[in-house]
Order: sequence, then structure tokens, then C-alpha cells
Amino acid sequence: MGKGLKIDRRRLLGLGLGAAAAATIAKPAIAQAPTLTVWSGYPEMEPFYRRVAEGLRGRVSGLTVNVQPIPLRQHEQRLALALPSGNAAEVIELGSSTATRYVEGGFMQKAPAAVTTAVRDASRYDPFFARSGSFEGSVYGMPLFRGQGALFYNAEMFTAAGLSGPPTTMAQYTEYAEKLTKRDGSGRPTVTGWSLRLGGGGQGIAEKFWINMHQYGGALVRQNAAGKWSSGYANEAGRRTLAQYLENVHTKRTCLIDSPADAEAFQRGQTAMFIRESWVIGDTAKKAPDLKYATAPLPVGTIVAPVFLYTPATGAKGDLAWQFAMASNEPENLVWLLDNVGWLPNRRDANYAPVIAKTPQLKAFVDMPQGHTLFELPAIGPVEEILTRLAERLVRAFANASLAGNTAGIDAMLREAAAETDQILRREGLYGA
Amino acid sequence: MSDDAPPLPRQREPFSLTNLAIDALLIVVALLMLLPLILLIGNAFKTPQEMLAWPPNFLPQNPTGENFRAVLADTPLLRWLFNSLVFALLSTAAIVATSALAGYVLAKFTSRILDVIFVVILATAIVPFEVYMIPLYFQVQKLGLLNSIWGLLIGYLVMSFGIFLIRQNVKASIPDELIEAARIDGANEAWIFVRIILPLIRGPIGALAVLAFFQAWTAFTWPLIVSTTTESYTVEVGLALFQTGFTIDLGRLSAASALVLIPSVTVFVFLRRSFVQGVASSGLKD
Amino acid sequence: MLRRRLLVFALLALLPTLAVYAWVRIVPIGEVIWLSLHRWNLMSRNKPFIGLDNFVELTRDPLFLDAIVNTTVIAFGVVAVTVPLGLILAALIYHRTRARLAGFYETAVFLPHVVSLVPAAMAWKWIFDARLGPLNAALGWFGIEPQSWLFDPVLAVVCIIVLCSWQTLGFAVVIFIVGMKNVPHVLYEAARLDGATAIQAFRHVTVPMLRPIVLYVSVVTLVSGFNVYAQGFVMASDTQGAPGRLVRVLVLDMLENAFRNYRFGYAAAEAVVLLLVVLGLTLIQFGLLREKGGRS
Repeated sequence: MGKGLKIDRRRLLGLGLGAAAAATIAKPAIAQAPTLTVWSGYPEMEPFYRRVAEGLRGRVSGLTVNVQPIPLRQHEQRLALALPSGNAAEVIELGSSTATRYVEGGFMQKAPAAVTTAVRDASRYDPFFARSGSFEGSVYGMPLFRGQGALFYNAEMFTAAGLSGPPTTMAQYTEYAEKLTKRDGSGRPTVTGWSLRLGGGGQGIAEKFWINMHQYGGALVRQNAAGKWSSGYANEAGRRTLAQYLENVHTKRTCLIDSPADAEAFQRGQTAMFIRESWVIGDTAKKAPDLKYATAPLPVGTIVAPVFLYTPATGAKGDLAWQFAMASNEPENLVWLLDNVGWLPNRRDANYAPVIAKTPQLKAFVDMPQGHTLFELPAIGPVEEILTRLAERLVRAFANASLAGNTAGIDAMLREAAAETDQILRREGLYGA
Repeated sequence: MSDDAPPLPRQREPFSLTNLAIDALLIVVALLMLLPLILLIGNAFKTPQEMLAWPPNFLPQNPTGENFRAVLADTPLLRWLFNSLVFALLSTAAIVATSALAGYVLAKFTSRILDVIFVVILATAIVPFEVYMIPLYFQVQKLGLLNSIWGLLIGYLVMSFGIFLIRQNVKASIPDELIEAARIDGANEAWIFVRIILPLIRGPIGALAVLAFFQAWTAFTWPLIVSTTTESYTVEVGLALFQTGFTIDLGRLSAASALVLIPSVTVFVFLRRSFVQGVASSGLKD
Repeated sequence: MLRRRLLVFALLALLPTLAVYAWVRIVPIGEVIWLSLHRWNLMSRNKPFIGLDNFVELTRDPLFLDAIVNTTVIAFGVVAVTVPLGLILAALIYHRTRARLAGFYETAVFLPHVVSLVPAAMAWKWIFDARLGPLNAALGWFGIEPQSWLFDPVLAVVCIIVLCSWQTLGFAVVIFIVGMKNVPHVLYEAARLDGATAIQAFRHVTVPMLRPIVLYVSVVTLVSGFNVYAQGFVMASDTQGAPGRLVRVLVLDMLENAFRNYRFGYAAAEAVVLLLVVLGLTLIQFGLLREKGGRS
């Protein structure tokens, strides 16, 4: 009896354990294995999303959040392929100008009522963001953060050059740049006075050009009363902007085509000032914590590139995705975002004061002077193509010494580029002078 | 290469000034070819400060392992290596299988249909992959194989050069009489291929395997569009995206690259002999 | 004529390979050609047929024209560097086959071919870096002014050619060595008896005998030169890299039009142009080598 029973018991025990194990494994799998995938185009945002997920785990038991950040271009590419085919992640972080085509195409989900109410609450978000994240009267995107440009300048270099504060007019930018440039024996700058964006990957060059042109009252493309678009830079504003680049590169040689540029150069003390978004603050804190620098608003106004969280129309996990989007906008998370990543949160009713007190460089981005004007990239399909093609022409023009001081040459270059812009708009049926 | 003792143009084996000069020249060339890789490995051990030093140090002054530690901790580098390895091995297997069979058939069976087939295969050999990559992408997408090794594999299942290589080899080195004799003995066609032909073309198959492996290992454009999740990247894509952030960390990237060199170099050094012999015996000159 | 049973076996044996070919090569190539005659943005359901409009637009597209010029220069540049240099190196290594270091030479020359592209391109990018790179430092020893390698329109293309040649050279050398091993030994004997020096023997025996292999290597190198992409991708990928235009290559432009501008028909038209260029060049190359062969 003993033997048989023993085996039986063991078997029973085994079965029981197996069943129990199966139950524990199967239960969450069947009921809901709440997993969310977040696609981001900014690798530095990863810790933020992890943090949001961590917080959400208290409310959604067993939640796994998979954050997949890749560089912006590849991010856009994967969306182009995945959204129409229904393979995209549940949470998609995307700038509104790029998202528009997907929203129009019906690939993004409308926000549920609770989210819509929150987004439209003017005490939480500037109506600018509600507008930017909406299409035909419905909210599609949850505002998260924005890219916004301002001047970064090296305080020690300014003092050494006898400059007491940041430049406030575009004329002063060139004037200061000259004073700040340090040169070697042959006259080549060893420290550039003003690092202009003269090269690198594609559309950024045109965006930076637009920022400068905005100070002269210009815009790369303009919308008419009928909602149609046309180029807006073959004019006085465009001419002055390009002339200033050329003057700095070729005439005054405050910054050369091959000079070290951008945040990297600034952090290494190879340039005295440059215009960039707020992420430089977080990046500099990590890479050059001892750098003495300050920020200042641009003379007239700046670019704002609002980034939203969306969820695909086909997604079965829409509710969870929106829950994640709402959680990402909890004040405590946004304060952490500003403090640790350096992108500017869009929600206005969180208490950012302690962070700004700690990092005064943020002030130029948050407290803008009266009458400071903001612009954003137009939400039209071919915007990237327009910017990329203009950028290629600009790169060529920047390197062309014969254009410096040559108004006729500058005008010809701008006319030709503008004709190309208009041609693209015409092709897409968007053109209207 | 004392091992394969080919017929050599006779040399005055005793000391010769010419040979010494040639050796010296070849050593310089060999070192120049390796130099970028040596510098890359050197950079992997540099601190961020030293990376910015001017003039640059060719080799690190204060070697640090920090870059390696950071790379292994912060990126799924091992996962990427694994993906690349599996992808390359599967691709090699598929290419070797299809090439051996098709190469043999196209070499030893004569028929106008087969001639046409061979010309079509040769013609597709010169069509760059990038030409038909986008439609191929949509096929992979329809099958739901994006972000998987299977999806990657679809672009690398066949290799026209492989079929060509095996065909030329079989044509040149296997006499028809051998096959006829087997047929007369009553062997069926499949048996002939497996038991007679395959053992005879081991050399070129080895060479083809090396080429196929490294073709997949160094693939870039296709994995870049098929793999969009961090876990599904191959090493090439992982490394390329690693450096397109706002600012790059050259030290870490070099460390990752140096680690990636290990498998490539090891595999090649092990397979070099069979590779060269394989290509050598493949009668490429036809 | 082939016996029926054998033909059945042959076709059955080829079937899997042919099916794969049709599936992953022929059908996609056909689709590209079809797509190139349409306008399609990936998202909309309608794909209007627009005839040759895409091709007409390509002829006026400055970015595409830049790309095709750059790509052509790079492809021919790589062939011009790789084939002669490969032949000479192969001859020298072959000549020293019995030397103890022969294996080392072969390995060293071939290794760049099997090293992952991106690390290699990164290493070269650092070497060429105007401010931090060892190339300018080394030139400095000889009193040569530092050059901004990746920023000058001509030098940037030279950089890509150097990088691609470095990667291709080993493949050419190995194939050439193999070819040399297959040259019948009696020919050298004959040349030696005629009083030819080693260099003359190389010129008049090795080179002509290797003509088919030279053809093969040139075609392969040229085709891969036209596909250059990763090299440009890495070299132009951040603000410190070369300005995008300088190393804009065909594949880059194609991918940009497809995945960034959502113009799949237009990108397909570029692919068709690439196809025609490569086909045309291959035919010319075959013709040229044949003709030369006839004359000698």
C-alpha cells in the first residue's frame, strides 16, 4: 500500500503544483498582461518614461512598460512604416507638425473625454497646445514638452570681452561675435564668437535659419487667408538673415564652416554663444558641469516645437495608453522632467519654481519678455521636404564666399530656393500666394 | 601559406634583397590596413578628456575600462551581437543550401530552360539590393515579420554569386563520367548529389559560407529598415543609432565597436585557410 | 538532349531556389518598376498612375543630381583605387607565398572587408576629423597645413573613396591571388626563358590571364560602389560630420524620399535609375574587357 500511495501522493502533489504554477502564470496572461510600449524620438527621455511607468505600476498591477527611444530620424521612419500597417507601439511621442499627417489619415485615436477636458483646461495648458494637438475640433495628442530656442552664452568669455550682458538686437549678435572670437596667428578662430549652424544633418539647418529670420520678421512659409501656403523668404528678411550668416563666416570670420559647432563646442569652450533648445542645459550639467554660462531670450521671438503623446487608432490598449499619457503629465513627473532632462514641460500649473531657482538658465525659456513672439513649424505634409531641400541650398550658400556682401547673388539664391519651395507646395496642392 | 603548396614561380629561395624589400613593403601595407582598427581599439580605452586631446594620442596614456563597462551596462550590445550571429548563421545556411543544389544542377544538367534560368540568376546578381528593398519591405510587413530575425533573413536567403561559384566549380572539377557511372550503378539523383557531389565541393562551400556569413554580418541598410525595436537591432544598426544622438560619446562607441571586432576577427582568422583554398579551388577563372 | 527523368529532377531541385528568387528578387524588382510610374505616399489608398512624371522630375531635382554625381564619382574612384592596387598587392603577396608572414599579409589586408561597417566608418571619421583627428596631426609633422577633410566638397568624397577602398581591397586581393594560383606555371617558365623580368612577366602573363577575374572584381566593386550608403550615413550623421550634401549618395536620397518625404513612387523611380545605371555599366564593362582581350 505504502509504495503505491507514495507515488500517487507525489503525483498528486506534482499535479497540484503544476496547476498552481499554471494558474499563476496564466492568470495575468489571460485577464490582462498589461504591457505598454512607448516609442520616443529622444534617447534622453528614456529615464522619464521609466519613472512614469514606475509610478503607474502602483495603480495598474503587473504593468510592464517597454520604452524604446531611438534617434528622431529613425523614430520618424519607423512610424511611417508602422502606423499605416498597424504595427506601432501603444504610446507614441511625436511633434505635432509631423503627427498631423497621421491624424489626418485616421491613424491616431481621438482622446477620451477625460483627457480632452484636461487638455482644454486653460489653467493647465496654454490654449496654443490644445490647438496644436487637435484636428477638426477633437483632441488627439496629450501635450508633454516642447523644444524652444534661446541664446546660450559663456559668461566668462563675455566678461573677458568686456560685455556686460547678452546681445539684444541682431546687429549686436554680429558685433558681439567679433569681440568674442579668439584667433590663432593665421587669423583662424580658435574660439568662435557665435556658433552658427552651418552643416550637419538636413532640416535642422533650415530650422535654425528660420529662427534667425524670425528676428527680422520673416517666415519660411506663410499661410494665406484661404489656408493655402507659400514661401516667405525671398524678401528683405531672408536677405538680411543670409547676409548675416555670410558676413560672420566670410567677412568677419567669427565662425568658419569647419569650426567645432553646437553644444559640444560650447561645452568645451570652443564657442562663446549659440542658439539652441533647453535640452542643452541638462546635457551640459552632465558633460561640462563647471561651465559658467547663461541664457537669454532671442531679440524678437523664438521657435516652439510642441511634442505630444498619441496612441494609434488601431490600438486595443488605448485606455491604458491614455492612462500613461495622463500620468506623464502629473506635476511631480513634469518637475522631475525639467530638473533632470531639461526639456520644457507644457503644463503650466505645476510648481517649477524650485527647479528654476536651482538652474537659473531655465529662466530665459520659461519667463519670456512681453511681446515675445513664438512660431511653430507648419503642420503640413511636405514640411520636412521643404526644410531639407532648403537646408541643402543653404549649406552650399554658406560655403560660397562670393555671396558675402553680394546682395544680387543672395537674392538670386533665395529666389531659386523659394521657387523650389513653392513647387513642392504646388505639387501637394497646398500652394496659394 | 605553406599548407597548400601551389605551383610557384621559381624563386631564388636564399637571401634576396628584392624579397626583403617586398617583405618590408608588405609589412608597411599590412600595418596601414590594420591601423584604423588599432586606433579604434586605442580610443576604446581613452577617457573622455583624452579623446579631446590635441595632438591626439595614438594610444591611450591612462587606459580605462570604463567605456566597456558603460557600454555593456547601458546598451543591449550582447543582444545585438546575438541577433547578428543568428541572422548571419541562418543566412549562411540558406545561401549554402540553395547555392549548392542550384549550382550543381545548373552545371551538370543541360537544357535550354536551365540556361535561361542561369542567365536570369546572373542578371539579378548585379541588381543592387537597395533597388528592390522597399517592395521587399512590404512583403515582410505583410507576413508580420518586421523586427524579427526571420524578417531580416528574407532579404538574405539567396546569393547569385554563390550559385555562380558552385556552378563554375562543379563544371571545372567534377567529370561527367563520375556522375554517369553512379547512374549506371542505379544511384538516384538525390543520392548522387548528397553522397558524391557534396563531399567533392566542400572547399568552395566553405569559401561561400565565409562570404555569406560576412555579407549578413555587415548588412546595414536592410536591418536598418526592418528592425525598429532596440531588441531586434543587429550590431551594425545598434552601433549606428548609438551615435546619432545629440552628442556622441566617441570613447564608448569605440569600446562597443572594439567588442564587435572580436567575433569578426576570430571567425575570419579561423576560417581564412579554408576560405582562400575554397575560392582557389572554385575555378573562378572560367 | 536531357532525359525526361533528369529534367524533372533538375527542375524539382531548382524549384525551392527559384521560388525564393521569384519571391525576394523578381517580384520586388517588378514592383519597383510599377511603383515608379505611380504617385503614392504610403498612407492613402489611391495610387494614381502618373506615367513618367517621376522620372521627369528627377532630371530637375538638384539633390538627386548631386547624389548621382557623388555616387558615380565614388563608385569609379573605388574601382580605380582598388583594382590596380589590389593587383599589385596580390602579385607581391603571391610572390612571397612561401614567406613566413604570407598569412599575416593576407589576413591584414582582408580583415577590413569583414569588419562591421559602422565601427570602421567611425574610426575613419575620427581619423579625418579636422580638429581631433590623427591624420591632420600626422600631416603636421611634415609641416602640412591641417585640412578640413570632411568639409571640403572634393576632400569629403575622397574620404569616402578611401574608406570604401580600404574595405574592398582585401576582397580584390584574395580573389586576385586565387586567380594567380590558377595561372598555368608553364607560362611563367616560358616568359623566364624569353628573358622577361618579374615585372614584365606580371605585365604580360599575369595581367592578361587574369582578365576575367579583373572583370569580375571590377563589376562587383562598381556595383557595391553604387550602393554606398552606410559610409555616408555615419560620416554625415551629426553636427560635427560632413555637411549632408557633400556625401549625399543615391541610396541616402532614395531612403529620404521614401521614408521622410513619403514619396514612395518617386523613390522607386530613383531605384529604377540606379538599376539602369548599374545594368548599363556592367554591359559596358563586359564589352570593354572583351574588346581589350581581343586586341592583345
